[in-house]
Amino acid sequence: MLGYILRRLLLTLPTLLLVAVAVFVLMRLIPGDPVQLMLGDMADAAQVADQRARMGLDAPLPVQFGHWVHALTQGDFGRSISDQQPVLPLILERFSVSAIIVLVAVALAVALAVPAGLMAAWQQNRPADLLIVLGATLLLSVPSFWLGLLLLLFFGMHLGWFPVIGYVPLSQDLIGGAWYLVLPVITLVMIETGVLTRMARASAIEVQRLEYVTHARAKGVPDWQIVARHVLPNAFAPTLTLIGLVLGNLLGGIAVLETVFTLPGLGRLLVDAIFARDYPVVQGVLLFTALIYVLVNLVVDLLYPLFDPRVRAP
Amino acid sequence: MKKNLTALTTCVLAAAVGWPVTAEAQAQNQTLRVRLNADIRSTDPGVNRDFNSDGIVLHMVEGLVSLREDTSVGPLLASRVDTSPDGKTYTFTLRQGVKFHNGATMTAEDVVWTWKRYLDPATNWRCLPEFDGRGAVKVTSIEAPNPSTVVFRLESPSALFLGSMARMDCGGAGILHRSSLGADGKWAAPVGTGPFKLGEWKRGQYLELLRFDGYTPRTDASSGYTGAKKAEVERVRFVIVPDAAAAKAALLSNNLDLIPEASSSDLQELRARQDLKVEISGTMGLNGLLFQTRDPLLKDARIRRAIALSLDTEEIARTVSEGLSKRNNSAIPSSSPFHSQVQAAGHKQDLAEARRLLTAAGYSGQPIKLIATKRYNSLFDAAVLVQAMAQGAGIKIDIEVLDWATQLDRYSKGDYQLMSFSYSPRLDPALSYEMLMGPKDKQPRKVWDNPEAQARLAVATDSADRNERQAIFDDLHRRMLEEVPIVVFYNGADVAAMRRNVTGYKAWPASLPRLWNVRLQ
Repeated sequence: MLGYILRRLLLTLPTLLLVAVAVFVLMRLIPGDPVQLMLGDMADAAQVADQRARMGLDAPLPVQFGHWVHALTQGDFGRSISDQQPVLPLILERFSVSAIIVLVAVALAVALAVPAGLMAAWQQNRPADLLIVLGATLLLSVPSFWLGLLLLLFFGMHLGWFPVIGYVPLSQDLIGGAWYLVLPVITLVMIETGVLTRMARASAIEVQRLEYVTHARAKGVPDWQIVARHVLPNAFAPTLTLIGLVLGNLLGGIAVLETVFTLPGLGRLLVDAIFARDYPVVQGVLLFTALIYVLVNLVVDLLYPLFDPRVRAP
Repeated sequence: MKKNLTALTTCVLAAAVGWPVTAEAQAQNQTLRVRLNADIRSTDPGVNRDFNSDGIVLHMVEGLVSLREDTSVGPLLASRVDTSPDGKTYTFTLRQGVKFHNGATMTAEDVVWTWKRYLDPATNWRCLPEFDGRGAVKVTSIEAPNPSTVVFRLESPSALFLGSMARMDCGGAGILHRSSLGADGKWAAPVGTGPFKLGEWKRGQYLELLRFDGYTPRTDASSGYTGAKKAEVERVRFVIVPDAAAAKAALLSNNLDLIPEASSSDLQELRARQDLKVEISGTMGLNGLLFQTRDPLLKDARIRRAIALSLDTEEIARTVSEGLSKRNNSAIPSSSPFHSQVQAAGHKQDLAEARRLLTAAGYSGQPIKLIATKRYNSLFDAAVLVQAMAQGAGIKIDIEVLDWATQLDRYSKGDYQLMSFSYSPRLDPALSYEMLMGPKDKQPRKVWDNPEAQARLAVATDSADRNERQAIFDDLHRRMLEEVPIVVFYNGADVAAMRRNVTGYKAWPASLPRLWNVRLQ
């Protein structure tokens, strides 16, 4: 098992290298100059050129790439063009905000979606199923920023139950900080519950059609036992794959929600950096995100055999 | 905790005996919460800065001179400014007893040290070219003959010297104490003379300014960035709220006290609220339509003029600004003392004449690309109106929407046919024209390349004679209307929205927020 994990980790290196090249090249292909943005419409060409030289942006692209990769191998992600802060601590700080919201929200979404999906499957084409499918479809269709704003306006502004803006780290004030996270977590839970419910339902329906479930029914095994013992373990594996993908995606940043709820997360950092053409930050965040994606999916792969004994790690 | 307990006890006791000062005491201890749409870049004045950075830094540092309410230049840390008859020597007499945030008294040596730092290329001060001879001014020496006098000597006289010193993007050339730098000589934090000092800065979340109790205010009336300033609240917290809708919700739910730049489209709603009030002020920013005069089609002045004649700029100004701004076809902002009757003249919509010019120029419906961005709604809205109005004269315009960084890149390279663009405020008419005029071969961002007009501008830049300057600016305006390298639409307007208990806040033409003399009641 350890060998398998090490092999998988080694395989991430070419992936990350490809990501590094792609991110570096793509960022340089996008029109827009961080120096021009920094200096604004008052700067003349000479000032822009001077500043570019100071920042090393006038060097040939392969040289710039070489410097960046060389620094990366030493754990140095560079410094932000915008505020001169070191990139890696910035990413880790922002990631901690996104990660808390995402992990809590996905855990809650799974806790809601899997039972709901199983129930919908078990009650297929009956009112309960239709209701769950309708609810899931509705949640899937709602844009996250709109739902977030709606919750913010109703619970934050109208009822005044939750703060509308701001963020307090949980390490600083556990209860007070959690208060700021309630609405974003609820928004994310609602959105992701829709996705996961549909997946859990589809998987459960497939499993229910298998002979061993029919056999159990014929034997008179109570419904809850059939669902718990036979359907859930076999239907959960595909859902687990989806959870891995969802987690990977979300941990890369929930930019829209972070913007609506003014949370200093990784997604907002990335979006701000793209608008500012802050190359080191964009490159750092995307590389970090790719790493997280790969690691999350590795963990999911390792968990797979627990739910589906047919799958064994080599 | 102890401080809070003391304050609470004081309030309870005061309430018990009915002290009339209780409300004032409470207000003094309050925090003013102000929206900031993005984090600042640094606290180093005029170095690695943007609009937000300038706005915050100028609460902490002050220069020898600064802007008055009407954006003319007045003394700030100087008590008086004397100019030699040849216009090449400026003598600044410093105010007495001005303290830095660390308690040290400001002297002429501090001014010299600060300016030497600014003029050192290693500092990377954005306004260095304005003072080292690359721009309008070359400072040849700065001396401190005594602790309260600083003498600047220039290579040649310039009407822009004091104005450039006061520029907001230059950090107002704020005077700093040496301890603003760390032991390694790198920037640490501003130790200035402003009414607020730096508190906690939690990047991406908020930045706090604390009242500087040792502040020495001027005795003249508050005006712009100068005059009497008093930090009425103990603390100002700039909360970073990127999303405008979230910021509005925060203001409505009393999670924010002030939004210095609210969306003009929210004006009616904000005005209708009993618990809010709004402040509106015209700004010196300039919104207009840029023409690439080297474009194969648009190099024909008749076509440019036809486009200008197809536009109802009064309607564009009114619609885009939600009725807050009026038409101004001049490069000089309407609030400027140089905005004369001549400057008030502009383009008038005349579709028949536009069609005649197009026919004469042989225009046969070739599409013209107009670049705009949705980053600033006003630029996109103006582009849509231009497209619709030009169609009335038979001109086909296609809008290309870009993100701001890309548009700015295309602007700086001159890579466009038409562009809906907005210029940041220039505080002197010469600078307003300078931002438009210049040789395109060397500076592709310039929209108006006319050597004769540039020579006239150079005279206005150096001249201290107001009448001569006015005559030149009027002449430039007439030429600009004739040649149409740009159609200026209007100067912007700022809508500041605040809770009703906020008093003393004023919007002003320079746009940046000023939070001294602002109280929470």
